[in-house]
Order: sequence, then C-alpha cells, then structure tokens
Amino acid sequence: MLSQPDIAALIITLKLAGTTTLILLLLGTPLAWWLATTRSRARSSIEAVIALPLVLPPTVLGFYLLLAFSPDGPIGVTTAALGLPSIAFSFWGLVLGSAIYSLPFVVQPLQNSFAGLGRMPLEVAATLGAGPLDRFISVVLPLSKMGYLTAAVLGFAHTLGEFGVVLMIGGNIPGETQVLSIAIYDHVEALEYSQAHWLAAGLLLCSFLVLLMVYSANRKFHLMKTI
Amino acid sequence: MIEADLQLSKSDFKLDANFSVPGRGVTAVFGPSGCGKTTLLRVIAGLEPEATGSLSVNSEQWLDASARRPVEQRRVGVVFQNSSLFPHLTVQENLLYGRQRLRKVTKPIEINQLIASLEIEKLLLRYPGDLSGGEKQRVALGRALLAEPKLLLMDEPLSALDRSSREKLMLLLEKFLQEIDIPVFYVTHSSEEVARLADNLVLLANGAVTDHGFIQDVLGAVDGELSRSDTAFSVIEGKIATKQLPGLISVDCGAGIVLQLPDSTAISGIRYHSGSGVRLRIRARDVSLCLEQPQRSSILNILPAVIAQLSAEPYNGSRVVKLDMAGKQLLSKISEYSVQQLGLQESQPVFAQIKSAALI
Repeated sequence: MLSQPDIAALIITLKLAGTTTLILLLLGTPLAWWLATTRSRARSSIEAVIALPLVLPPTVLGFYLLLAFSPDGPIGVTTAALGLPSIAFSFWGLVLGSAIYSLPFVVQPLQNSFAGLGRMPLEVAATLGAGPLDRFISVVLPLSKMGYLTAAVLGFAHTLGEFGVVLMIGGNIPGETQVLSIAIYDHVEALEYSQAHWLAAGLLLCSFLVLLMVYSANRKFHLMKTI
Repeated sequence: MIEADLQLSKSDFKLDANFSVPGRGVTAVFGPSGCGKTTLLRVIAGLEPEATGSLSVNSEQWLDASARRPVEQRRVGVVFQNSSLFPHLTVQENLLYGRQRLRKVTKPIEINQLIASLEIEKLLLRYPGDLSGGEKQRVALGRALLAEPKLLLMDEPLSALDRSSREKLMLLLEKFLQEIDIPVFYVTHSSEEVARLADNLVLLANGAVTDHGFIQDVLGAVDGELSRSDTAFSVIEGKIATKQLPGLISVDCGAGIVLQLPDSTAISGIRYHSGSGVRLRIRARDVSLCLEQPQRSSILNILPAVIAQLSAEPYNGSRVVKLDMAGKQLLSKISEYSVQQLGLQESQPVFAQIKSAALI
C-alpha cells in the first residue's frame, strides 16, 4: 500500500496540477483570445514560442529555468530584490515551471475554440447592445465550454505526468517538491517494485478515466450540435 | 432623414455610398450579387471599423470625421441572412438578450403580443437547433425589435429559406414592416421583395449608389441603371375588386383602371379578400405599346395611357418608355426600331398591352 511519503507526493502532485491549471486558465484566456482574433504579424512568433515545450526535451526547459532561478539569474535577482525567498527547489518554483511546460496544452484548445466561434455571435451581441466584456461573458464563455474542459483536462493531466522539469528545478525533497512521477522513479531505483506498481497503475488509471471523460463529453457535445 | 456618405476600401472591393432617404418606412437596398449590399449594411450597423465618411440617422450622428459610435451604442436591430440566434440560449432567452441590456425601456412593447404576432409562442422553451429556418428568422426579428432599435437592418432575411416558408414569412413581413414606426433597411436582390415591401429604394452597383429616393421615382428613372437592366419593373397599388370575372382576379387600381389576372390562388393557396390592398409588379418587358386599341386580343389588360417620358438613348437596342395611366406610372421596354416605326414621342396617347402582371 501507499507509504506516508507516497501520500505526501500524491497530495503535492494534485496540488501542483490543480494550481497550475487554474493559473493557466486565467492567463491563457486573454492570450488565446488575442491569438484567435489578432491580425498582428507577431502572432506567428508568439505561437511558436508557446508551442516550444511540445518539442523541447523537458530537461532543456528545466536547465534554463534553473539558471533563471539562481541567485544571479533574472528571477532569482527579482525575488531577492522583493525580499522573497528563492523559488528554486520550492513548490512555487514547480508551479512556474509547470505553467510554462503545460502552456500549449491550455492555450491551443482555447485558441481553437475561440477561433471556431466565428465573428457572427459577437457581432450579433454587439448589435443587441452588449459591450466587449459583456459579449465575452455572455456569448464567448458559454459557447467555449468544451474548449475550457479540454484545456483544463489536458493542462492538468500533462502537469500530472511531468518529470524532467521537476527533477531539474524542484529537486526531490519529500513532502515539499517530490511529485508522483519522481516517487515512482525512486521506488524503481530502490527496486521497490510493488510500491512503484501502486503509484504507476494508479496514475495510469486516473489518466485514462480523465481522458475518457473528456472524449465522451466531446462526443455528447458533437451529437447535441448535429441534432 | 438618414444621410450617408460612406467609404470603405478592402483589398478586392471598394464601397462609396452617398445617399439620403426618409427616416421612416422601408428602404430597399437593391442590386446584383456582389455589388456591396451586405457591406453597406455592415457599415451602417458599425460592424466595419475601417469605414470612413459620415452617417446620421434621424439627426443622431453615428459617424463623422471626428467620431465613430460603437456598434453597441447605435441601437441597430440586425436580422442576418443566416440564423444568428445564440445556440446556447433558449428562444425566450434569445428574445430578451437585447432588451435586458437596454438602459431604460422606453417603449412598453407588449412582449406577448409581439410573440403572438410573430407566431413563435410555442417555441419559447426550445433551443435554436430545434427550429426551422423560417422560425429562426422570426425569432431573430423579434429579438431585434425587443431591443427597441432606432434602425432595423435586414440582410436578405428570406434567402436561406425554402419556397413555402419564404412566402409565409413574406406575408408576415408585409404586415409587420408597415406597422412598426422605425426605419428599416432591407437588402435584397429580388425585385419581387422590393415591389412588395419598399417605400424607398437605394440602387447599388459595383459598390456605388446609382440612384436613391422614393420607390416610384427610382423605378421611373428611364435613363437609370435599373431601367437599363433586365429587371426594370413598375409597381402599381390597388385593391381586390368586389366584382370578379370567372377564372380571374380583378384588381381595382383607382381612376377607372382595373387589371385582370389569371386566378392562381388554387396553386399558391393564398386567399385574397375583396377590398384588401395589394401591389402588382409589372415587368417593363411585359408591356408593349399600340397606337390603336387592339380588338379581339388574348391579352387581358389593354389600357389607354400617355407617354410621359422616353429614355434619352437606346440601350442594347431598346428604349424604356414611362407611361402615365391616369396618374399611375407604368414602364414599358420596347425596341428602338418600334419607337422609330411608330414615331413615338412624349405626350402621345397610346394603348399599353400588359402581357402579364404579378400579384404580389
């Protein structure tokens, strides 16, 4: 069964994935909206930057973040100037790293969803007297429900499975920065296969159930649309 | 008054529309596909931010060199070509979307009465996905009107509908648009819709306004763009006569003019009651001229008239003749050869043979 440190790793993992997803949904919404509606030439470059974590080895990202977190790095200098503790090897360092690492998984579904709406619903809402924020809340958000569900699930699940970035910037401090994927690695290193099994199979099952939920919701949604 | 002097340049299209029409009644924006009708409507609504020029609607300035009023403050009701209902809201929520956003409800419209006259009372709890095309357009019209617009814009609202629902919605619009006291811009490429609904006409070709004004003035401009086209037509108003000949419908147009039409009600299923007002659309190419009254002709309507005006120049070998039939205006399109042969000239009395007229 699960040991005390395993349970702590589980809780940290869920907390990390939940916090990261929430932050990404909040920040990803204006970013995705801008990408979906802008005609700016900068769009392609920004899209490429956001998509980088899809192709980069996580260790590359982790390496640069580690440099940035160091007392001489830009983030380390900033936190020191603000009188805050360094975020290297801390939970909030993990949140920042995960947010960058999972950004495309949240922004892309939102962007696709916003772009798929077309301009019609927004124009109609404007002629009926709705201002920009009102239009977003009363028309865009409800019509992008599936986009938000997909973005949230992908962002959450992707953070859940993170390994390389966490190892580089979080280290492996039990009860503080040790997440499930690293706990599994530790168990395997120590030849504790049964503990590794409990965690690995649990993660596998959880991920499957979450994805199943998204796909069946998606299917129901598409059926609703065709009726 | 609605006064517009609007410009918009896009990569493949240029709009330069300058017109003024009365601030009440139905103004049809008429022209062939691709001439910029929809773009003009979008500019008036404020949906094209790059548009420049000036626009005033009943002395409210919506656009000039210094300011542009945003869409949501113009209070325009728009009925788009395709369904524009919000799919995530019920019919009732759709209907109230604009009204809930009014600062102050000034006109206490009887909501229930409006819903009843649009025949949508049974649809209120449904979602737009479950409605037919005609139902969607009726809901969209109701939603626009409940927001108390200062101008109602309709962009070919019938074009996406099948024949029978088009006819049904048309009958409703005829009644409706005359009753509401806000100006309406109605974009169409159908001369039938113009003839049935319009009080004023704005003609558009290649992004420019070629003529504008009262419908009879614009239709009767014999040298105008419309007269040159194949669609040149006249509109005559009348009433269904009390006395009918067998197999015919008689329309009394006043001043002793009675037009006879074949009774097609068995097919169309529309019932006309004697005394009810109707409009007739008569194509200019269906009207020919004789100097003497023809005898024993199969043509039902042969009426005395006086030539009011001839088009200055023949166009494609034809000339348009404007006739005065006891004060009613009628257009005839005949060949230049016939004009020369018969020696036709202004103020000459003739007989107009109307080969066919559409009761619309």
